[in-house]
Amino acid sequence: MSYISFAVLTLVYMELSMRVVTAPICAYGQAGCHAPSLADLFERVIQQSSRMHGISSDLHSELEQYFFPRKNVLGKHKCHTYGILTPDDKENAQRLGREQLTDVILSLLAAWSDPLSQLHRSMSQDQNQNFNDHSYSKALEISDMVHELREGVAIMAEKMKLLGVLGNTMGYISPESLVPSSAFTFYKQGELNSVDHHDLLYCFRRDSNKVKNYLQILKCTILPGLDC
Amino acid sequence: MTQETGATAAQLKGYSPPGKPTLTRCRSPEKETFTCWWEPGSDGGLPTTHALYYRKESSERVYECPDYHTAGENSCFFNKNDTSIWVNYNITVVATNTLGSAFSDPVDVDVVYIVKPNPPEKQTVTIMEDKGWPFLRVSWEPPQKADTRSGWITLIYELRVKLEEENEWEMHLAGHQKTFNIFSLRSGGKYLVEVRCKPDHGFWSEWSSTSYIKVPDYFHREKSVWILLTIFSAFIFLILTWLLHMNSRSLKNCILPPVPGPKIKGFDNQLLKNGKSDEIFSALMVSNFPPTTSSNYEDLLVEYLEVYVPVEQELMQEESKDLHGGCLKCERSTSDSDSGRGSCDSHTLLMDKCGETKEEGRHTDRASSRMLTEAQRHQKGWEKDTLTYAHGDMVSPDMSNGRVKTWPSVFSPLPQYSSNPLDKQSSLEMAKQHCLSTSSCLTQPGHSTKEALGPSNWDFCLGNKQPHLLHPQTQVGRQLQAHSEVNISNIGRKQAPAGLQSPALRSTEYVEVQRVNEEDLVLLQPVVSGCGRIEGYPQMPKGKDYSKVKGVDSDNMLLLQREVMEEDWCPGVDQEINGGTGNCYTSSTVNTTQKPTACIHTAMPVQGDMALAMNGYVDTATMCTLPTC
Repeated sequence: MSYISFAVLTLVYMELSMRVVTAPICAYGQAGCHAPSLADLFERVIQQSSRMHGISSDLHSELEQYFFPRKNVLGKHKCHTYGILTPDDKENAQRLGREQLTDVILSLLAAWSDPLSQLHRSMSQDQNQNFNDHSYSKALEISDMVHELREGVAIMAEKMKLLGVLGNTMGYISPESLVPSSAFTFYKQGELNSVDHHDLLYCFRRDSNKVKNYLQILKCTILPGLDC
Repeated sequence: MTQETGATAAQLKGYSPPGKPTLTRCRSPEKETFTCWWEPGSDGGLPTTHALYYRKESSERVYECPDYHTAGENSCFFNKNDTSIWVNYNITVVATNTLGSAFSDPVDVDVVYIVKPNPPEKQTVTIMEDKGWPFLRVSWEPPQKADTRSGWITLIYELRVKLEEENEWEMHLAGHQKTFNIFSLRSGGKYLVEVRCKPDHGFWSEWSSTSYIKVPDYFHREKSVWILLTIFSAFIFLILTWLLHMNSRSLKNCILPPVPGPKIKGFDNQLLKNGKSDEIFSALMVSNFPPTTSSNYEDLLVEYLEVYVPVEQELMQEESKDLHGGCLKCERSTSDSDSGRGSCDSHTLLMDKCGETKEEGRHTDRASSRMLTEAQRHQKGWEKDTLTYAHGDMVSPDMSNGRVKTWPSVFSPLPQYSSNPLDKQSSLEMAKQHCLSTSSCLTQPGHSTKEALGPSNWDFCLGNKQPHLLHPQTQVGRQLQAHSEVNISNIGRKQAPAGLQSPALRSTEYVEVQRVNEEDLVLLQPVVSGCGRIEGYPQMPKGKDYSKVKGVDSDNMLLLQREVMEEDWCPGVDQEINGGTGNCYTSSTVNTTQKPTACIHTAMPVQGDMALAMNGYVDTATMCTLPTC
């Protein structure tokens, strides 16, 4: 018992003495918080988008196992974000300009917030039990990530505007005008089944890749450095 | 018709429509263009043409491959204008010959996922030094076509290193950086370095061209130091070994001190092992014993001690050779490591070993000798010299037992005694008492001796005029009391010792009875010798003559028996002995068995309950205790 009490005391002491204090980060440099640099913001955002894309790729490939290989076939359907004009070429992307690029990124992220949460809900209700726990957690994770990434990119855009890097000419086009109102039902074919999930994930995987790529282009345009 | 005939004719000849081609792969080196390759099927024996058609995502329009030649045979190259990223291409290859055509399976391609960049370029490997230790610095450039500068493509790099003679590569992931350091190089080794890259989601490029680098021999300096160090340490080691060898003995003694063994002056273990007992004991003979230099015979003159021998008292007897022998046996049988101490000194020893001896007991001898030894033990000053001294007279050179006996002389301080001869009776009595007291004290090994005894606790119950009874220490010599002659007559008179109680006499010392004088006094001397040694200086000590008790007659007379000796007859002695014809020195009242070699028995008043040992020795200790012999 003495050992246990000693161990407990030691842990308590360590807990109190070596408490790690978190400092809030704010993009606007308010008082009392540590403002990260634009480079740091870009770094975080790109990492987040890369991770998001990786998870969505895994999820998609997992889903593909349960179906006879469709080999990246979307079928005759489109992604619900087809309304958002995205550059499909390097030249087009560079021609677009940083402000519009930022807009596109934000639009894409906004367009996917809702469908992913619905996907998560739908997967949990799936009767076929095609998804294991990993898929379930991954779906939840990417839905959270989309939200975070959207907020992060917004903060970064604000900072860029503050820095004068980004002009004010960009007009944030609300995704609702470009995206069908009910995005999830866009993929629905009759009854809700796993096929819808597959298509949705297919589209999301692609769009996350676009986001990541656009962010990288944006970064190398605004902050040319060693990584570019 | 002609066509059909031609076709039929061709079919008749064995030709067939082409086999189904297959798209093997499509690759994009920079995510801006891409190429697809296909594998044609059987051509059916006829010239076959292939065509690639593709359809873009969410468009029904079918396009044909714009470029069949840039990428080589059976390929289709899509240039920048025709390439769209994040667009699904549905590609089909059609093989056509005169007989027919074959469609391949359609393949969906998204250019983003088929990127395989070119290997990194401008690879350089240089040797740099870090605090004297070299390392390789590898640097490279991304492939020229891949536009990483605008961020369109992000590449990660990997390099591999190996020595020229090795088979396995050492892989290193470099991440996004374009330089890498390799440490822990082998001196003088030749290294091969290769680099490759991969986009975030794509395929690894091919390995770049090998770069060769040779590490200079920087270990030269270090190796020489090591060699010197090795030689030096070997040298030191040799010296140490030699030193150790030289001093092995002393070191061994220092670390592992030898267990002290028996140290008897003159005692030779090897002789003992050889079994030549005579030599051993002769070796123990000290040449200068008795001391002739400083000793003053006058001082050491042993005066007669009136021995009042009650029944149970100690008996000063002659020491016979047999007793010596018996005691020798005692000694020999017991590994008594005491040096210079008579083996039969120990009380228990005598009690244990008296059975071994064949002689009759002489309890008084034992007592006296025991007293001697006991006193000797207590007496620190008494070293082997004393013992050997005392023993020297006793022991004849040819005695088997080389041990020093202590029984020859029993010194006792008798303060009440003057140097003058005392009254017989009283002196005897007192001497006896004193002897008794001392012996009783001394017989108890380990027990503290009486203070009254003084430093020199020697019971001097000896015969008279025995200059050989030496007391090296003058101190003791002073205490050497002149005793009257042993009044053996007391023994014969069956006088019970007045006031003499039977003490717990346990020690049995052997005292040689020198002779019996006219007055029937037993003259004791420490050393038993052959005949001719009556009074005065003893002759050459020869054998030991032990007088042992043969028995006790009805009159409580101690019958002494003397056993075999060297000389059977000592006529001179015999005269002294009352009726003694034997060689034994007997008491006055001797009932001797008239035998040439017989021992003269002296009757001595003995206590009734005296136990007669088997060997004839009367152990005074048995007076009070049960006999153990």
